[in-house]
Amino acid sequence: MRRRVWGLAIVSYALLLALSIFTRMKMPAGEYASDVGRLMEIRVHKVVHIEQTDDIVDALAEAKRKKLPISVSGARHSQGGQTLYENAIVLDMKGYDRILHIDEDRKLIRVQSGATWEKIQKAIQPLGLAMRIMQSQNLFTVGGSMSVNAHGRDLGEGPLIDSVESFRLLLASGEKLQISRTENAELFPLVIGGYGLFGIILDADLRLTDDAVYKKHVVPLDYQAFPEYFREQVLRSPDSVMAIARMSVAPDSFLKDMFVTAYLKTDEALTEDLAELNDERFVGITKFAFGLSRKFDWGKGAVWRLQKKGYLVEEEERISRNNAMRPAASFMEYADTQKTDLLQEYFIPVDRFLPFVDGLRRIVREDELNLLNVTIRYVPKNKEAMLSYAGHDSYAFVLLFNTKRTAPALQRMELSTRRLIDLALEQGGTYYLPYQLYGTTRQIKEAYPNIDAFYVAKRVWDPGLLFMNELYARYGR
Amino acid sequence: MRKQIHEGRERSALRWMMLSQSMMTFGGGIVFPFYLIFVKEIGGDFTEYGIAYGLFTLCSAYLNGVFGKSSDRYGRKRFLLLSAWGTALLFLVFPIVTDIWQIYALQILMGVFGAMQKTCEKALLADMTEEGRRGEQIGRYHIGVSICSGLAVMAGGVLIDLFTLDVMFYLGSIVLFLSGLMLSGVGEKTPT
Repeated sequence: MRRRVWGLAIVSYALLLALSIFTRMKMPAGEYASDVGRLMEIRVHKVVHIEQTDDIVDALAEAKRKKLPISVSGARHSQGGQTLYENAIVLDMKGYDRILHIDEDRKLIRVQSGATWEKIQKAIQPLGLAMRIMQSQNLFTVGGSMSVNAHGRDLGEGPLIDSVESFRLLLASGEKLQISRTENAELFPLVIGGYGLFGIILDADLRLTDDAVYKKHVVPLDYQAFPEYFREQVLRSPDSVMAIARMSVAPDSFLKDMFVTAYLKTDEALTEDLAELNDERFVGITKFAFGLSRKFDWGKGAVWRLQKKGYLVEEEERISRNNAMRPAASFMEYADTQKTDLLQEYFIPVDRFLPFVDGLRRIVREDELNLLNVTIRYVPKNKEAMLSYAGHDSYAFVLLFNTKRTAPALQRMELSTRRLIDLALEQGGTYYLPYQLYGTTRQIKEAYPNIDAFYVAKRVWDPGLLFMNELYARYGR
Repeated sequence: MRKQIHEGRERSALRWMMLSQSMMTFGGGIVFPFYLIFVKEIGGDFTEYGIAYGLFTLCSAYLNGVFGKSSDRYGRKRFLLLSAWGTALLFLVFPIVTDIWQIYALQILMGVFGAMQKTCEKALLADMTEEGRRGEQIGRYHIGVSICSGLAVMAGGVLIDLFTLDVMFYLGSIVLFLSGLMLSGVGEKTPT
């Protein structure tokens, strides 16, 4: 009798266990995907790690069969779900990264879209070549950089679209198209800076240039003096190739003190030592200093004083083009569960520099934002991409904020961001779309006057809305 | 002679009890550290985690008294068994919840079974140990249970790297169910 009761209990439990597992398996095979801001945790159908073209074709077929959307992701450094969508099949392109061909004479490279700039640098540096345009950090993929139409710190080069010769795109229809400025040309400005909404970039032909030796020239100055200095001394100088400026976030010199680092051409020979690709140094200590800066105002002051010393030491330092394009980034990696670092970028016409900085200072102070880092790059006017952000010769302000991840903190961040976007728009500028989707519909339309035409084109090329991300879901529908 | 047999049986009962409760701690312990992740995956934030955890504690606070009294009457083993198996069944529900309110409901039930376990474990221990040696016996008992709880947290850490949280709940559930089975080895003085 007793034994029968125990037996019955075991059988019942086993049945319930089986029932639970069965139910669980019938539920959507949830996988959570996120991006570097870790704010948007989205339940996607699954993540497919792409290694060859067939994997992409298969994923496309599966998505159509199951009537699921597709999102395409690279290094996942966008911060507003540009590479994600609810219940989507997410293609992780990082394994699709072969270098297909290097044409040394014509200075062209053909790479699969998941290749990172780091991988490309490793392949072309021994040939004495460097990229014409890439971001000033090298951890991104080619496909991702094309999809956001990234820019770097070259003075003479616009956004990435400038250095793209042609590429192959897999459309929603399953058709593979060759796209350049002459073939299927209407897709060219849509896909570059198109946030993955038109198809999957398979591989691309990118323009290269010669690696060279640059000399760093570091000048500390007050922000009031910056516009004239930059116009007269940096842009006018035939030797300046790249430049980047940094502003202080320390309380006593907040958004006033700054540094300009210009990279000047030299005709010095590229020695092996200089040409060799540098790896990040002192990651631990920089990470620590950055951590102090996040937490304390005195940390910000200390870091700024250290940077001052550090940058002045760099004066006259020689650096290869390739190394100038691969600065440290991993010290910024941040995994606090309760806080996160948010990037934002604003493009401000060169003659509106001062009013923008004054407005920025006011908003950051009034809204008590924790601003950690401000860098400024020059982006010459380029309107080739449909969603072009540089309608004028502009300064690109890259701002890094630290915020709590709680709902009220993020809500405040959202409102402050809208103030900052309005400030940029008032100055005739724009803001960059790879980050949080805080801008309102009015703001995105004002910053990107072509956006309605962009949506229309999206629906022409992808009528079933196969390629989806949170950006389109937020504004496009 | 008779006394010796009796003592032997008591000692073995205490050992079974320790084994069972250790397994119970283990089953709960491999899941517990990741509970926060679980609440977050459902879409909850820290506030909701706080509420879920608070519900559990508050609910069990009151019921400790209720179950303590009932166990005097109906026997403590029965409640320990109910607690182990009840929690085992709840663990089967966790992987299939989709909403934060379902977690709240589960937490309330967890509180019910938690109260049964907490009070009855202590009461039964008191019953099973002898005056004069009680401290020593409870001490020995706790060595076992604590070791298991420590091991569970470590094992949980390793397992979560290998499996999803769902699998952890299933593993935990099976262990809890087994811990209930082990109670069959625990003899209990009939309540008077």
